[in-house]
Amino acid sequence: MSDNFIERPRYVCALGGAAATISALPGGIPILHSASGCAGNFAWAQNGGSGLQVGAYCGTLSIPSSNVQEREVVFGGDARLREQVESTIKVMDGQIFAVLSGCVTEVIGDDIKTVVADFRSQDVPIIGAETGGFKGNSYRGYDLALQALFRDFVERGAAKVKNSVNLWGVAPSADPFWRGNLEGARRLLEALGLTVNSFFTPEDTIENIRTAGSASLNIVVSHVYGVEAARLFEEIHGTPFLSLSLPVGASASEAFLRSVGKALKVSRQKVNTVINREKQAYFRFIEPLTDCLNDLDLQRYAVVVGDANYATALTKFLADDLGWLPELAVCTDPLDDEEKDRLTSQLNVLESRYKTTLVFETDGSRALEHLQRKWPAANGQKYHNAFGPAFVIGSSLERELAQTIGAPHLSVSFPVANRAVLDRGYTGFRGGLRLTEDILSAVVAGR
Amino acid sequence: MSYIDLKSPPKREDRLKACIAHGGTICEMAGAKGKKSCLHDDGERSFTQGSICLILPALAMLNTLPDNVVLLHSAIGCGGCTHSQNSNVRFGGTVRWGRPKDGIWLSTAMDETDVITGGEEKLEKAIIEADRRYRPFSITVVAGCVPGIIGDDIDGVVQRVQPQVTAKLLPVHCEGFKTKIWATAYDAVYHGIGRTLLREGEQAPTEDGLAPFKGLERLPRTVNLMNVSSMGRVDEVELERLLTTLGLDVNVFPVFAHPENMVKATQAALSVSTCPTHDDYFLGYLEERFGVPSLIRHMPIGIENTGLWLRDVAARFGDEEKAERIIEHEERELREALAVFRPLFEGKRVFISAGEFRALATARLLEELGFTVTGIRSFHHDEFAEVEYRKLANSSKEDYVVDIANVQPFEEANLLKRLKPDLFLGHANGNGTAAKLGIPTHVIYNTGLAYIGYRGVYEVARRLYRQLKNPIYNRKLGENLRLPYSDAWYTADPFSHIDQRGGRAA
Repeated sequence: MSDNFIERPRYVCALGGAAATISALPGGIPILHSASGCAGNFAWAQNGGSGLQVGAYCGTLSIPSSNVQEREVVFGGDARLREQVESTIKVMDGQIFAVLSGCVTEVIGDDIKTVVADFRSQDVPIIGAETGGFKGNSYRGYDLALQALFRDFVERGAAKVKNSVNLWGVAPSADPFWRGNLEGARRLLEALGLTVNSFFTPEDTIENIRTAGSASLNIVVSHVYGVEAARLFEEIHGTPFLSLSLPVGASASEAFLRSVGKALKVSRQKVNTVINREKQAYFRFIEPLTDCLNDLDLQRYAVVVGDANYATALTKFLADDLGWLPELAVCTDPLDDEEKDRLTSQLNVLESRYKTTLVFETDGSRALEHLQRKWPAANGQKYHNAFGPAFVIGSSLERELAQTIGAPHLSVSFPVANRAVLDRGYTGFRGGLRLTEDILSAVVAGR
Repeated sequence: MSYIDLKSPPKREDRLKACIAHGGTICEMAGAKGKKSCLHDDGERSFTQGSICLILPALAMLNTLPDNVVLLHSAIGCGGCTHSQNSNVRFGGTVRWGRPKDGIWLSTAMDETDVITGGEEKLEKAIIEADRRYRPFSITVVAGCVPGIIGDDIDGVVQRVQPQVTAKLLPVHCEGFKTKIWATAYDAVYHGIGRTLLREGEQAPTEDGLAPFKGLERLPRTVNLMNVSSMGRVDEVELERLLTTLGLDVNVFPVFAHPENMVKATQAALSVSTCPTHDDYFLGYLEERFGVPSLIRHMPIGIENTGLWLRDVAARFGDEEKAERIIEHEERELREALAVFRPLFEGKRVFISAGEFRALATARLLEELGFTVTGIRSFHHDEFAEVEYRKLANSSKEDYVVDIANVQPFEEANLLKRLKPDLFLGHANGNGTAAKLGIPTHVIYNTGLAYIGYRGVYEVARRLYRQLKNPIYNRKLGENLRLPYSDAWYTADPFSHIDQRGGRAA
């Protein structure tokens, strides 16, 4: 890991993450207070990294943006922002507007808070967040946008409703499978009889978001993304939160259901009933795979490269559901020590007792060095316990690693340039079946 | 002192008086004689949508350079566009060298601390580390908004670090807030190439014009074919085919050219541009310092324009007759091949949106295929395009709208609702508005597809034929989706947010 640069960053900036988040809300209209190129940069990043999904109702180059120039740098951009918001609410048809500042306007010290407050006092449904790109990456922007939503839009003082929960922790477009992943987690919760507000799926409405303060529990399916926002939510609206792993596959889904059931005091019997039903269905689908899985010797060593959600969730899935050997997990996010500890503890004790190595490395191409440290290349000896047969699961940038070690590969974590992703997701029991299909399809592609 | 002697090239609104905000018509644009560049002082919009900045086209070029590392000095998100451009790098590598290879791009990922303390030290270390880790021939140091606004001196850093590293360091200025004309990107990249890779070879003027790079011979039958990433390999091959038929050798420059071999551009007998929006800055430099004359008019898109382009090149080598024979043969073959498509195209109304020259040349191509142009949106306007507007004004029976806009899909949505064209051609990430209105669409630029020369005309026709044979996908989008604009907006004047008085009050 370099202190001086990040190789091929697998995300955009806080502004980009926030813009994608607002765009993903029902009727969400971001208003960038930034230089003119930011929106286009995000559009092209999505075009190349989000599984062929670009934009939304108001995304890509439709996103209103103040397009500040040198003049605003010299004289300040508040007046331009005011003009832009004024015209935006006339031209655009939105249910929620969000002013998001970029690098330039934040460095020059524009006061977006006052502008936003003035429009809110005129009953415009508008929020604001300081999301200068230098504040962090897409995931940070996701968290900041959620914080603004919880602070300025979700109504305060709502009475808590039993068995009503909010769900987040998957960042729109930064996770190419965000829609399917949210839906998969949502279905698990609904199976427990809960009412779920997941903000970003077609089933969510702006009204439910406005009254999200009535939830009795917030469930964050991440140990990093949206955790700050959950703390703020608890502080403002008094709803506690659970930060859980992204429930990819059967074992993780079972653990997820038990954690949520326990927190909400759902009867053990009810939880067991749901889990048993789901598992029965799951194993009926798995059953006919048994012969080929054995006959073709489909067990693999694996390298996992992914963001903070995927690096651990995929590793757990491979080790505990597929019974594979994920020797190395590489998390490509820049994280602080506490966040790293949280992720490390997830892989310390796997159900399979498999011992894996988790490294934090923002430069993806160094995954090979980390692997070779653990598994040295052959040295001409007759018998060599090689790293193989192997599989690489990561982003499309791991194709070079896969080629180098002669392994098949699947893109899951951003960027996913070589797959089309619509409603596919890997969460839940069904998600585990999808992921098994996709991984094994890559292994047998030449069959 | 010429521009190349400055640290960074001037922005195009200054150098070419280019503009981005104007609502006009084809006849008006064609009648702009006597006025330099924009018809008016550039306008300002009171409502604007996001667009791109010069960092995107700059990276589209730089990422293709073999043996080069792109080092972005900016916040972490700048350069995210590379994830899309990387597919061009991979595909371009495959068709040129038989295997795909990802580009290498790095970001200094400036954070809050860097904003306060300055990022020069970090950049310095990043250059040294990148040089040691990747051992590239060159490192292009690309500055985004943040260093521009906090005052990092990237040229100073490059000068300080150059003696410590093996790679050639090319500073490229892409501070997005400094220009609204993103075509300034081409100047920025060419400026870096000129100042770093070709500088030492500059010769003192001699009586018979300037010499090529020191120690190199003039190549009397070699032409530089300029490509800043607006053409894929398939288009290069088409132009190489035509130029080779004239008996010329072709040096494609600068995309996918190894930086070490770029000096070859100074040996050519002629530089040929395919688009004045791209190359005028660098061609001026090659001419001024190395005596390489240049051609920069007509874009070889469409039948007539390809002929005009080829004739111009041939005339420089005294090959006019040969060119006429080639053109006659090519046109006859092509027109026969197109006959099958024309009945479906005849009289269908088309709206075109792209970079100015591309939009105008493609409009002529579509007319040649039988379409009627009903509107054009050009991303910016400068004087080079006036001749093209005149060609279109001459060929059109009726006047039609021209929107000068750096994308701004809200104006386009309003116009399309009124004009209801049968077909829309737009830039990458620029077809969504028309598609969601149910209009058949096709991308006007994609480096995997053929557009240029006679082959390009045929392939565009083939693709449009496909689109129009079954446009139901967009029709269903139109029936089931809505654009994010208020009902009131569609009844407003599409240009009502343009203030033409020459800039908003500060």
